[in-house]
Amino acid sequence: MLLPKFDFDEPATVSEACEILAEFGAKAKVIAGGTDLTVNMKKKLLSPERLVSIARVPELQRVDASSTMLKLGPCVTIANIAESGEIGKRWGAICAGAKALGSPLVRNRATVGGNLGSARPAGDMPPSLMAYGARVVLTKKSGQRVVFLDNFFRGPGLTEIAPEEIMTEIQVDAPPPHAGAGYINLGLRSSCDCNIVNVASYLVLEGPGGPIKEARIVMGCVGPTQRRAVSAEKALIGKKPCEALFTRAGEAAMTDSTPIDDFRGSAAYKKEMVKVLTRRTLAAAFEEALKS
Amino acid sequence: MGNFEVINSRASRIDSPAKATGSALYVDDIKMPGMLYGAMLQSPVAHARIKSIDVSAAARLPGVKAVVTAKEAGLVKFGVSPARYDETLFCHDKVRHHGDNVAAVAAVDLETAMHALSLIQVDYEELPVLITIEEATAEGAPLVHDGYPRNICAEIHQEFGNVKEAFKECDLIKTTTFVNKRQDAAFIEPQGCIAHFDIFGNLTLYSSTQSVHYVQRTVAMVLGLPIGKVRVVKPYVGAGFGPKAAANHLEPAACLLSMKTGKPVKMNFEREQVFMHSRGRHQFFHKFTTGVKKDGTIMGLDHECYLNGGAYTSFGIGTVYYAGSLLGGPYKLRNMKYDGYRVYTNLPACGAQRGHGGVAARAGWEQQLDMIAEELGMDPFDLRQKNMLVAGDVTCNGLKISSFGMPECLEAVRSGSDWKSKKGKLPRGKGIGMACGFFESGAGYPSYPSDTYHDTVLVKLAEDGGSALVLSASAEIGQGSDTALAMIVAEGLGIPLEMVRVQSGDTDFGVDLGAHSSRQTLMTGHAAKEAAEDARRQVIEVLSEELKTSAQDMDIKNGVVKFKMEKPDFTPLRTRYIKEHRGWLDNPATDDELSFREASRIAFLSRGTIVGKGKYKPPVPGGSSKGATVGTSPAYGCSAQVVELSVDEETGKITIEQMTDAHDCGLAINRTSVEAQMQGSFSMGLGEALFEEVKFDSKGRLINGDLAEYKIPSCLDMPKIKSIIVESNEPNGPYGAKEVGEGAIMPTIPAILNAVYDAVGVRIYELPMTPERICTAIKEYKEKRIDAEYEDQSKRNRAGSSIRLYD
Repeated sequence: MLLPKFDFDEPATVSEACEILAEFGAKAKVIAGGTDLTVNMKKKLLSPERLVSIARVPELQRVDASSTMLKLGPCVTIANIAESGEIGKRWGAICAGAKALGSPLVRNRATVGGNLGSARPAGDMPPSLMAYGARVVLTKKSGQRVVFLDNFFRGPGLTEIAPEEIMTEIQVDAPPPHAGAGYINLGLRSSCDCNIVNVASYLVLEGPGGPIKEARIVMGCVGPTQRRAVSAEKALIGKKPCEALFTRAGEAAMTDSTPIDDFRGSAAYKKEMVKVLTRRTLAAAFEEALKS
Repeated sequence: MGNFEVINSRASRIDSPAKATGSALYVDDIKMPGMLYGAMLQSPVAHARIKSIDVSAAARLPGVKAVVTAKEAGLVKFGVSPARYDETLFCHDKVRHHGDNVAAVAAVDLETAMHALSLIQVDYEELPVLITIEEATAEGAPLVHDGYPRNICAEIHQEFGNVKEAFKECDLIKTTTFVNKRQDAAFIEPQGCIAHFDIFGNLTLYSSTQSVHYVQRTVAMVLGLPIGKVRVVKPYVGAGFGPKAAANHLEPAACLLSMKTGKPVKMNFEREQVFMHSRGRHQFFHKFTTGVKKDGTIMGLDHECYLNGGAYTSFGIGTVYYAGSLLGGPYKLRNMKYDGYRVYTNLPACGAQRGHGGVAARAGWEQQLDMIAEELGMDPFDLRQKNMLVAGDVTCNGLKISSFGMPECLEAVRSGSDWKSKKGKLPRGKGIGMACGFFESGAGYPSYPSDTYHDTVLVKLAEDGGSALVLSASAEIGQGSDTALAMIVAEGLGIPLEMVRVQSGDTDFGVDLGAHSSRQTLMTGHAAKEAAEDARRQVIEVLSEELKTSAQDMDIKNGVVKFKMEKPDFTPLRTRYIKEHRGWLDNPATDDELSFREASRIAFLSRGTIVGKGKYKPPVPGGSSKGATVGTSPAYGCSAQVVELSVDEETGKITIEQMTDAHDCGLAINRTSVEAQMQGSFSMGLGEALFEEVKFDSKGRLINGDLAEYKIPSCLDMPKIKSIIVESNEPNGPYGAKEVGEGAIMPTIPAILNAVYDAVGVRIYELPMTPERICTAIKEYKEKRIDAEYEDQSKRNRAGSSIRLYD
């Protein structure tokens, strides 16, 4: 397969990149690792006239984990996240998502910004980041805005990013005491797979052992975008965490999901797996919350 | 078994350095001066009449050097078996599957060639698309090919013994069904080739192939060239697994484009095209009825099988025969009836893949044997041991078993897996299962009727005496055959492996049917051994003349001439040798033994270039029934495997944890390569068992034609593997060697099936065992168990099976 012809820019700074995007708008596409974009270009699903690479902009590759917040540049590679001890310690479910993505070769090139920006319903990074309540900073020539990931995805391949904007940062608050999270992805094989269902859960307890103060459950592969299992979350708030509660939440999450039959699996199976993975990720989140 | 100097060891592969450093050249690495790039126009629909083809716009595009269709290519029919030559290079009347070939273009670069393809106008009149066997065999269904009513491409009816009579003596008769899915071989290098038709009218074709011989014949026949003008060369090849054993359409197309332009033309398949043209594993629908006595004696098998063949026959005649005949072993099956049907549909054609025709049959039947063992209250090992063939047996379908290390295989995996302490004792969710395998060591006959030698090998000693060059048309495709041949020749000559070089995969070097049906170690190996011994004989004859010593009293071992009796005075020979090598620093010292290097130099001085010749043709008569030739082989390998796994009952996900595998390969030429074949086979079997399925939409269009959505196992899916080599010393094999390349896949799927049953109590009659399929089966099983709460425990889970008890 051949790549179609395109022009290529490699700006050194964010402002330079914004200038280029302001000029070319929808005719240009931002490229970071290119693991998704170049494949789609070879398949002729996308044919941008111009690629603007942000891979050489130093400030977009920073990892900054402070006591209150994790800031990730969009060009941080998935491999870096998977291997990061400081992310793993406080945001373990993000690392779990990174470890589940692709193969070592893909993880070395693919970036966190790319995995969010490509907006695949089965992506490995969105559920955990959403569960932690992450936000993205979108920058253009004339200014900046911050968008919660909850409001970021618009459909398969579609996001809030306007043609002249670049994602310049991903922000995740540090979990408070007595908080925990879990991520589980289910595919056919053990790596290099496209998920059948993936779920991330996040819990904050009032104190050691509960009750549950805050809950966020994010489901992938069961709708055009990742979505929160709202009724499952509601069922958890104020309750004392236990296996039976997590089972009930799993059942509620099924009703929050809207999977379709496709060649990867039937809608009925995917719903069933939402139940199982919700319960299991809640259990993992609770276990972590007890330790923190 | 003898004392060997080279073989039966763990040799480093002779192709490893080139592959590890990237200096090995594969087809796509090769560039030639003036080379053009070709591309194929393929049908976007699965079944349609071609009303017209207009190539004029494509031909006018600057940079395009040739456009060819059936008009230029002609309509010579070809295929694998002359009985079913049903393909032409390009379609002319209609297209029969998504991706069927319509035209080809050669241009100065690939971009231009691809652009030109988009300018070719084809007017299709779409026809009803036949996807399933039911659709294709339905009354009034359109015909994929004229002359094959109900689209039945081939039909086999065999009976050995009398199954009906045998069943009267049985205590238990069991019927089960089994279906696999179309599997792609997923070799890492797509097919590709470069054709060069030179100004002298010689055609040289470099191709990623498993058989330069079959490609040479096909190309010559299709293009009407004298076979002596066609040379086929195989560069390094990134695997084949069966599909590359026949010519693909790129090969004659590139040749035709080169003939039209006078320039070298390179053509490659993209991955999606591999799925459309690789002709891998068929989908088989099996129904087995087996009768046994209470003591476990298998009395007979009534076997019916339907194959979804796709749009062309390819290897399919062989496949439909093998699906029946390979169940002739490894058990004493006194009576066997087989009814096989291969059906044309509008899907891409299927062909041969590792374990040709026998893998799904083996899987379904070994699962049934496991069920029978349980119902008889026997350990599955005991049932198999009771029925095992032994060396000297002839199966009911005429297969002659000349060596059979099956008891050793069974014992090795039974103790190696600690079966006794695990079977029936693992917690729910964890399971252990076993199964056996059986396969030929090369087909007894070529794919076209012929008295040809199957293999010829030349061993040419370098004129300076320092090395031996092996010339063979055999195909190293990653399986290690070059190394095996080098080891056999080194052993036969009596020299170290480092002194042997191999040039293979070139029709200029002789005839070799290639790498398929697990044939090269035994068959090419025979020819290599004979050639090495012939060269050695000539060297010893010259020594005998020069030293006045009887040839019988001399031997060559590890590069040194050994004298069995009194050592003659070879100083004059050494003096001659040293005189010719004044200034050389590595001349032999006075006290040294007489070296092979000196001896073979003296032989050259006496006789000119020393060339040893070897040839091989299997001495197999085959049975008397029609089609009895399929499955006949000089030797049969056998194997046993134990698989341990866990099943996540909620998600249905299977994790294979441990595999213990024993294979009787007669004698291991290279022990490391034998283990690698066993492990590679397991990986392919695991993929077919758990993940792999080529999928089509309702119009017959390929859905998952890439390696992201078509899922072969990753490294992380492989369990811990214990590979145990069993050596039975095959009398018909070179140094006792026989197959391992395909037989090793046979027990994998049924061992997994049986372990799944052991873990969660469900029998699976359809592959692949995806989490969803397992999850559904477990649910049904649990529901049934509630329904049948008061019923006999042993009657649980009958889906797909029925039992008649004669008591």
